[in-house]
Amino acid sequence: MLHVEVGTRLGAFALDVALEVPAGCCLALAGPSGAGKSSVLRVVAGLLTPESGRISCGEEVWLDTDRRVDLAPERRPCGYVFQDYALFPHLRAWQNVAYSIRDTSRRARRRRALELLERFGVAHLADVRPRTLSGGERQRVALARTVARRPAALLLDEPLAALDASTRASASRELNRVLNEAGVPALLVTHNFMEAALLGDRVGVIDAGRVIQQGTAAELAASPGSAFVADFTGAVVLTGTARGGEDGLTHVALDGGGALASTEQGEGPVAVSVYPSEIAIEPSGSPRTGSAQNRLEVEILSVTTIGNRVRLGLAAPQPFTAEITSASARELALTPGMRASATWKATSTRLVRQ
Amino acid sequence: MSKRGWFPLLLMASLATVLCFLTLPIVAIFVDTSPLALLSSLHEEGALEALRLSIVCSAIAVVIIVLVGTPAAYLLASRRFRGRATLVTLIELPLVLPPAVAGIGLLAALGPNGLLGSRIEDAGINLVLTTAGVVVALTFVSAPFFLRQVQSAFEALDHTWLEASRTLGASESRTFLAVAIPTAGPGLISGLALAWGRALGEFGATLMFAGSFRGITQTVPLAIYQDFSTDFTGALSLSAVLVAVSVALLLSVKLLSGAEWLGGAAR
Amino acid sequence: MRTRWPVGLVVLILVAAGCGSESGGASEPTLTVSAATSLKNAFTAYGKEFKQAEATFSFAGSDELAAQIQQGVKPDVFAAANTKLPDQLFAKGLVKKPKVFAGNRLVLAVSANNARVASLRDLEQDGVTVAIGAPSVPVGAYTRTVLGKLPPSQSQAIKANVRSEEPDVGGIVGKLSTDAADAGFVYISDVRGAGGRLRAIELPKKAQPSVAYGVAVVKGAKQPKQAEAFIDGLVSGPGQQELKAAGFEPPPAE
Repeated sequence: MLHVEVGTRLGAFALDVALEVPAGCCLALAGPSGAGKSSVLRVVAGLLTPESGRISCGEEVWLDTDRRVDLAPERRPCGYVFQDYALFPHLRAWQNVAYSIRDTSRRARRRRALELLERFGVAHLADVRPRTLSGGERQRVALARTVARRPAALLLDEPLAALDASTRASASRELNRVLNEAGVPALLVTHNFMEAALLGDRVGVIDAGRVIQQGTAAELAASPGSAFVADFTGAVVLTGTARGGEDGLTHVALDGGGALASTEQGEGPVAVSVYPSEIAIEPSGSPRTGSAQNRLEVEILSVTTIGNRVRLGLAAPQPFTAEITSASARELALTPGMRASATWKATSTRLVRQ
Repeated sequence: MSKRGWFPLLLMASLATVLCFLTLPIVAIFVDTSPLALLSSLHEEGALEALRLSIVCSAIAVVIIVLVGTPAAYLLASRRFRGRATLVTLIELPLVLPPAVAGIGLLAALGPNGLLGSRIEDAGINLVLTTAGVVVALTFVSAPFFLRQVQSAFEALDHTWLEASRTLGASESRTFLAVAIPTAGPGLISGLALAWGRALGEFGATLMFAGSFRGITQTVPLAIYQDFSTDFTGALSLSAVLVAVSVALLLSVKLLSGAEWLGGAAR
Repeated sequence: MRTRWPVGLVVLILVAAGCGSESGGASEPTLTVSAATSLKNAFTAYGKEFKQAEATFSFAGSDELAAQIQQGVKPDVFAAANTKLPDQLFAKGLVKKPKVFAGNRLVLAVSANNARVASLRDLEQDGVTVAIGAPSVPVGAYTRTVLGKLPPSQSQAIKANVRSEEPDVGGIVGKLSTDAADAGFVYISDVRGAGGRLRAIELPKKAQPSVAYGVAVVKGAKQPKQAEAFIDGLVSGPGQQELKAAGFEPPPAE
C-alpha cells in the first residue's frame, strides 16, 4: 500500500493531496497541465521535498516532515518512468537496464539486462544507443530499466505522451501488462482522461493542486462531481440558472437562450451535463414525439466523420457536441449552417454545481 | 546588383577580414625564416628547458584545475542558492583581469608580504621565484576558462538524466561520476583545452610572481620575450613550437568532442 | 530608408577618426620616445615641461626597444641605458649619431625592511635570493660586469643565488618591493625613485662599471625637429635637471 499525503506551495497555488494506492492497483491522476500532478510524483520519488507531507510504502516510511524523515531518492525503492524516458545517452540499452544492478560481475549484469529486455521484446536492441531508438522502443527499454530495480512502487509521468498515435495503442497494452504483472502500487499521471481510463484501475481528477474527485473512470464520467470534472471527462457542459418546477423536475434557463429540464435537484447557477452520445438530432421544427423532454433549436457548426459515427459541433447558442451514426447523418443530409433540433432525455441531464 | 546583394557581401568581407587578421601573424611566424634555422635554434638548451617547463607546469596546473574545478562547477550548475550569481562572477573575474594585475594580486595574497605570506613561510613553502609559483600563476589565470565551460556544460545537461539516476538507486556521487561527467564530456574537454592553451601562453602573471630564470621559471613565453631582443630566430622558433602545440590541442578537442564513445551527448 | 543608418554610422566613425588625428596634428605635434625603464620618472617629469610637442613615452628594457627599431618600428627618439645599443643602431643606419646624456651608478638594493642583506658578502649565503637583469638588458650586462670584477669564488656564490633574470630594471624593483627577492642590482636612480621602499648598498669602486646613457634621433622620425629639441633639453636643459633630481649622474668622462 502506497500512502501519500502532501501539502506544499507550488507557485500560484497550493498542492494538497492525500492518496492511497493498494498493491497491484494503478491510480491515474488526470488533470490539465500545471495542475501539480508531476509534482506529486516528484515528491513521492524524493526529487522534491514538500513543506509538509507523509509518504509510506508498506512498512517503510519515506517521508515524514513532522519527524524530519526524508529519505534520499536513491534510498526509496520506487521505479520512475519519465515522460521522455530519460535513457542515458552515453550507455547502450543493456547498460541502461543494468544501471541499477550492482554487486555482480559484468557478465551477470548483462545477462540479467538481456532477460529483462527479452521480456519487453527488445533484446535485439541490447547494444544499441538510445539515440537511434524509436519512441516505442525507448519506452520499452525505459520500462525494463525501471523494473530491473524490483521497485516497491511505480511512478509513471505521462507514459504515452512521447509516442505517436499509432504506437500508443500497443504501448498502452504493454504498460497494462507491466502494471498487472508488477503487483506493486502504481501512480500514473496524465493530462488525457482516456489514457487514465485505459491504464488506471481508479482515476483521480486533479486541478490547481487538489484532487477534485476519485473513482473508477466510469463513475467519474457518469457522475461528475463538478463542471470541471464533467468537462474533463468529455461530457457536454451548458451553463444556466435552475429553479424547481411544480412537475417535480428542475427547470434550467440556459444562458443565452433555451430551456432544459432535469430529474436531478438544483437551484441557482448550475452547469448542465450530458454526453454527446446521448443526444439525438431531428430536423428543425419537428414536433415533439416520444418521451424526451429536452429539445433545443441549434445551428450545425461542423460535421466530422469518425468511422461509423459523426461528431457534430452545435451552437444553442452555447457550443456543444453531439454524436450520431454516420448513416443517420447522411439520411438527414446534415451540413454546416443548417438548423436542427437536438433532443435528449431529462433523465440523462445531470446538474452539477458551478 | 540587386538591392539584396550588399548584405551577403558585407558578411563575406567581415569574414575575410577576420581570417586575414587572425591568421597572418601565425603564418608569418613560419614564413619569416627557413625551417632549418628554426629547427637548429630549437636545439639550444634554453629553448628545450623552456619547453619542458611550459609543458610540465601547464600540465600540472590543468590537472589541479580539472580535479578541483569539476566538482565546483557541478555545484554551481546543479544548485540554486542565494549569492550564486555573485559567486559565479567572482570566479570569472580572472578572465577579465590583465595578467599583470593577476601577478600583483598573487603577490599581494601569496607573496612574502602578502595576506597569507607569513603562514606560507611558516609551512616551509616558497612560491615566489620557484617552479611551484609558476604552477600557481598558471592555475590562477586558466581556471576560469575551464570553470566557465564546464559549468555551462553541466547546466546544459538534461536534468532528468540525473534524476533518473537517483531513482535507479545511485547516490549523488555515483550520479556525478557515472552520468554527469560522461554526458558533459565534450564540454569538459573543450574547457580543458581552453585552460591548457591559456596556461601555455601565460606571461605577465608568471613574470611578476615567479620571475624569469632558465630551467626554473622561464616558460616559453618568457623565453620568447628574452630571445626577442637578441636572437630573433630563436624567438621565432619557440613561437612556432607554441603555435604547433596549440593547434594540436585545438584539433584534439575537435576530435574528442565528436567522439562516438562519449555518447554524442552534445546535441 | 533602412540603409540610411548604417551609412550614417560609417560616416560618424570616419569623422570621429578624422577629428582624433586633427587634434594631434594642428595644435601640438606628438613626440614618441622609446626610453629605458630606469628613465621613467625623469622623462615623465621632463615631458610635462617640454613645450614643443606632446611627448608620449614607451618604457621597456633598452634591448627590447632596440629590437623593435630593428624590426622597423620608428619612434622619434630612442634613449637607452647604455651607449652600445644606440651605437649598434647607428652602425646599421637606423638612427642618427647618438649623444651621451647621463650617467648612473649600479648599486645593490634591498627592501627597506629587509635586514638579511647588508653587504655584497651577504649575497653569498645559502638561501639568499637575488634578482638581476637578463643578459641583453643594460642593467643585466652591467651587473655581469660587476660580478666579473669580483673574485671568482665570490661571483660564483652570488650567481648560484640568482633566481630571476628580469627583462627590465622595473621588474627587479618590483621583486624587491614585494620581498619576492632578498636583493637585486639596480641603478641608484631606481632606489631614489622607489620612495623609501628600497635601500641602496654601494658597490666597491673598483667593481663599478661605467654606466653611460645614450640617446639618438631615429631615422625616418615624424618629428625630427622636436626630437632634436628634446635631446638638446636632455643634454643641457630642463631634462638634465630632472635627471639630476632623479638621482642620475653626469655623463662619465670619456
